[in-house]
Amino acid sequence: MGTDVMIAASGLSKRFGTVRALDKVSFEVKKGEVVGFLGPNGAGKSTTMRILTCFISPSAGTANVKGFDVFEQPLAVRESIGYLPQRAPLYMDMNVYEYLRFTATVRGLDDSTFKKRLKKVVEVCGLAQSLGKDIGTLSHGFRQRVGLGQALIHDPPILILDEPTSDLDPNEKAEVIRYIKEIGKDRTILLSTHNLAEVEEACARAIIVSKGRIVADGQLDDIRARTGAVRYIVTIDEKKTLKNGGAPSVAEAEEALRAIEGGRSIRELPTDETAHKFEISSDKDADLRRELYALMVNKGWILLELRREAQSLDAVFRDLTRRRRRRRRRRSRFGPGCGRRRRRAARLGPRYR
Amino acid sequence: MSPMLTIARREFRSYFDSPLAYVVICLSFLAMGLMFFMYRGGFWQADKASLQTMFEYAPFGLSALVVPVVTMRLLAEERRSGTLEMLITLPVRDSDVILGKYLGALGLVLVLVLSTLIYPIAMFRFPWHLGPLDMGPILSGYLGLVLFAASATAIGLLVSSLTESQSIAFFITFFLLVALWLMGYAADGAQGLLGTVLTYVSFQKHFEGFSRGLIDTRDVVFFLSVTVVALVIAFRALERRKWA
Repeated sequence: MGTDVMIAASGLSKRFGTVRALDKVSFEVKKGEVVGFLGPNGAGKSTTMRILTCFISPSAGTANVKGFDVFEQPLAVRESIGYLPQRAPLYMDMNVYEYLRFTATVRGLDDSTFKKRLKKVVEVCGLAQSLGKDIGTLSHGFRQRVGLGQALIHDPPILILDEPTSDLDPNEKAEVIRYIKEIGKDRTILLSTHNLAEVEEACARAIIVSKGRIVADGQLDDIRARTGAVRYIVTIDEKKTLKNGGAPSVAEAEEALRAIEGGRSIRELPTDETAHKFEISSDKDADLRRELYALMVNKGWILLELRREAQSLDAVFRDLTRRRRRRRRRRSRFGPGCGRRRRRAARLGPRYR
Repeated sequence: MSPMLTIARREFRSYFDSPLAYVVICLSFLAMGLMFFMYRGGFWQADKASLQTMFEYAPFGLSALVVPVVTMRLLAEERRSGTLEMLITLPVRDSDVILGKYLGALGLVLVLVLSTLIYPIAMFRFPWHLGPLDMGPILSGYLGLVLFAASATAIGLLVSSLTESQSIAFFITFFLLVALWLMGYAADGAQGLLGTVLTYVSFQKHFEGFSRGLIDTRDVVFFLSVTVVALVIAFRALERRKWA
């Protein structure tokens, strides 16, 4: 392990009763990286972060933070981490200054260091106006800032932020992302969210988890390229046609589009116009534009829009996390005791059933 | 300041951020005064310069009202609101959290207990002199009250560490402590082994000696061990989150 690896998880598994929350999750985060930790709700993001901050222990596997083992040296791990749990749970009856002061004292900061750090934190997180206010009276956005502030008060080399932008309005979101970019210049940050736009803005690298497993890990561009898909947006007028056949219904149009070779999946998009709008995804090498145009001419439909673009991260995310879900569904169609799971259960013995 | 003391101080101060502490302190002073002077003729009919009546009722008041109210939120509320995660992921040991919370709550209970010292001082020293006071039983009584408060608070903390709901924590602590106290009366009626066991477990029986001026090491050890055992179990309950 190189010295610049700040967070290293290997084979982390965690089960809650019979629920497998994490399944052999391994990844590394190097010094100075800002990594987006992505996944649908319940994918295991918070569980991973809680293991890294030594709040809970893994059922199997190990994790190192700054070289310290989370199980053997929890105090050293926590000292080098600034952590913001989901929803920023703070003591509502304290005011902002008292709260920051409390965290600093528990962390063993002396008076002069605290004053110095406080100045910096207040500046970065924009807390100057609210230092004297009770946390209970603050808006959610400000509480989030206070949460960030307490995570930064001891100038930690590593920050772990669990959904720092959930429940915020768009302005507050943008602001928090701006803070994260600001403080991410000289720190290692692991940031969980299910908002992909934020990841695209703040992080260079993303780890995507689904159902307790890592389904993608790499630079954003690589992840985008990895699924190797492009998408086409096709909009067809639903009232008028060039021929006399009458305007196409949604089903008709969808069927015709589905028939085009090379298309991988198709879905209807909502639109304000009197038109049908579809998103078709296909392999990267294929180019469906010619076929699409030919289809329109053939049927006499009026093409209002035809656009080809590399798949957005949003779509990649959906693709990666849904594909697993679909596979699961297929497997479980034969009932819970069938196929791989039963064989696996038999192999592992009754305890794991 | 060590993390433990910082947590204790925050806990203690937070009682005074809400009206809770004031209400509890006022109510218990009022109740104690009424009991002492009025109940069944009280102090006036006893016609003795002694605080024995107070020591008879004070632990019951602590059990039924003060300790359950003070300890109910200690860990239950933190767990419900999620602040426990924030607290524990600071560089503190689980034992710091338990002991810090314990000391904070015990601090408030002791403030209340010791402030009743105003009664004997006001009645027998200054400004009134209601009679010659025997200081021995008073000091031993207070020692007993302190030990009793320590055990009761530890039990309250233990209950609070097992649940997420303040009200459940309140009621369970209330029933446990009241039962442990009233067991003394049951012990008087019971015979044989049952009587022995009840006498041994009852807080009241162990407290009796102190109120009469008798400091028995068995009683001291009893209260101290209850405290330690309750704190250790609370510590384990907090640790359980890691594995559950």
